[in-house]
Amino acid sequence: MEYFVQQLINGITLGGVYALVALGYTMVYGIIQLINFAHGEFFAAGGYMGVIMLTWLSAQGVPPTVCLVLSLILTMGYCALLATAVEKVAYKPLRNSSRLSVLLSALGMSIFLQNGLMLTQGVYDKAYPTEMTQGGLHFGMVTLSYMQIIIVVVTAVLLVGLNTLVFRTRIGKAMRATAQDKTMSALVGINSGRIITITFAIGAGLAAAAGIMVGLYYGSVRYDMGFVPGIKAFAAAVLGGIGNITGAMLGGFIIGMVEIMAAGYLSSEYKDVFAFIILIAVLYFMPTGIMGENVDDTRV
Amino acid sequence: MNRIALKVLSLALAVILAAPAAALAADVLKVGTLSPLTGPYAADGNDIANGARAAVEVVKDQGGIPGFKDIVVQAEDSICDPRQAVAAANKLINEKVPVVVGAYCSSATIPASETLAEADIVMITPASTNEKVTERGLKYMFRTCGRDDDQSKVAIKFIKDFIKGGTVYIVDDKTTYSQGLADNLEKLAGAQGVKVLGHEHVNQGDKDFSAVLTKVKAANPAVFYVSLQNSASGALMLIQAKRMGISAKILAQDAVYHPQLMEIAKDAAEGVFLTFGYTDKETPAYKAFYAKYQPKYGEPGAYSAYAYDSAMAYLMAVKAVGSTDPAKVREAMLKNKFQGASKKINYLENGDSGSNYIIQTVKGGKFTNYWNPETGKLY
Repeated sequence: MEYFVQQLINGITLGGVYALVALGYTMVYGIIQLINFAHGEFFAAGGYMGVIMLTWLSAQGVPPTVCLVLSLILTMGYCALLATAVEKVAYKPLRNSSRLSVLLSALGMSIFLQNGLMLTQGVYDKAYPTEMTQGGLHFGMVTLSYMQIIIVVVTAVLLVGLNTLVFRTRIGKAMRATAQDKTMSALVGINSGRIITITFAIGAGLAAAAGIMVGLYYGSVRYDMGFVPGIKAFAAAVLGGIGNITGAMLGGFIIGMVEIMAAGYLSSEYKDVFAFIILIAVLYFMPTGIMGENVDDTRV
Repeated sequence: MNRIALKVLSLALAVILAAPAAALAADVLKVGTLSPLTGPYAADGNDIANGARAAVEVVKDQGGIPGFKDIVVQAEDSICDPRQAVAAANKLINEKVPVVVGAYCSSATIPASETLAEADIVMITPASTNEKVTERGLKYMFRTCGRDDDQSKVAIKFIKDFIKGGTVYIVDDKTTYSQGLADNLEKLAGAQGVKVLGHEHVNQGDKDFSAVLTKVKAANPAVFYVSLQNSASGALMLIQAKRMGISAKILAQDAVYHPQLMEIAKDAAEGVFLTFGYTDKETPAYKAFYAKYQPKYGEPGAYSAYAYDSAMAYLMAVKAVGSTDPAKVREAMLKNKFQGASKKINYLENGDSGSNYIIQTVKGGKFTNYWNPETGKLY
């Protein structure tokens, strides 16, 4: 029982990270039907910016908690700006081209960003100052580390924040309208270009938050760290029904949980396989994913 | 008249074009290196290239090698991938290097060595510990580091004689190297009466070890054997093991040995044991190596000194026979016994140079000699 509870905690933590990254995929897809393959790189860039910010802020004598919150906000802001720039360069000029050219542009951007990180930050792992997040709570054999609590809390806050933004604000309304029909919403006075940029920026900000928390959780970041979580998060978004925000969250948690349980009860070497088997199975029986519907107007 | 002028002119051109190439081929000694300069093992790979560079610089400072105007290092990237390694080996053959220091991953070294053997190029590996590397009867294959079978013997001896642990849990990452070591350990453990509570495999590049560590914690072994082919992954595992509250003694191996282990894991690395070659840092050879290496490339990594010694052994042999003829160089390398930066170098007939594994530990953020398997005593 304790073993199961421990694996459950591990699964929720990992699922939270996947969910945050998956949201960006799903939002961008929802609004312009683009699989943004460069999304994993925002996650990696966030990880790097996070370590730079944290190191710099703690050198200024800022107390650890403030340090964490501040670097989280600054990093998210930075990646949002980065995504805006990427969108301007790689996607905006192709807005009226075929979907394939945008997809290729996204792949190219991913390679470009990853190599950029490698050349500017080096090929070695960069260490996070993990001292501030050491320790945890022990309940018998079960350990709940502070970092796991932080990840779950931050994920929850961001998810609630995003839901409020999308379903309770004017911008959210504009986003949903643009997703439904770009031309029509433009006709009624919504600046759809700006809305698309904002969607990109928000998605990248969430990925950056995931990056910084993964850095803190595992203790280091690396230039190619965006690839695998990127693929998993993409799978999570598809699983949940791509284009659907609640679906992406659910998909993230399912992928994380399946991965941990497969590793915990079967074998670590097959955990990736099982995550994707679930994905294939769900898609076989529900081609639009768990929360996806064939009607377009539930998309962001 | 015109025709003759044209002929003379073209002849002159041909001579001008051919001359530098010929001069280069004769006067420049190219030392090739093959190691993962990019990808997950880039840290160790760059250490290897830099180790060879340091050796070349030291030899040049001592006046170079008679008959050669210059010695240059040609570093190629193997990415720890068998196909890439073979492609890089072919490139080095085209570049006419007489020697290759490398590669890193045994799974890349073995196919690359087959290619290099066809061109009679001397290959000296500073880092591939798999037994097969020197057991295929390749004439010009040498190994400066130790062997996996020796490393596992030291590990099991330590578990049995020193920790007196009756149980061990093994985790490897499925590389030729890490799984080879782990399988060896499992076999030896059975023969020695140490109980193996579990043997798990993780994937290369995994960052989340929480599931497998929960298993380790539930099994509660006396020793947790971490066989990963990457010090950064090792560091991540140490951090997560500490958070999880695993109390087992952790024993790792030489691929986890790297300064970046402490840089990333910090105090989570304290007290971890590693099997690694014994290096006497007081020898003049080590001091010469360190003085050249550290200012330019930073603190030496796990395989820097082995790469340095590999290149040095070759250059000394070339100097002794005054040629790069592989047969002659092989003779000279077998005869040459010297104190290197990493250990006493003494190549045997099969190309091995013996293992010198001891148990080291991390103490105060530094690797320290801990236990001597020969005497069974602490350092």
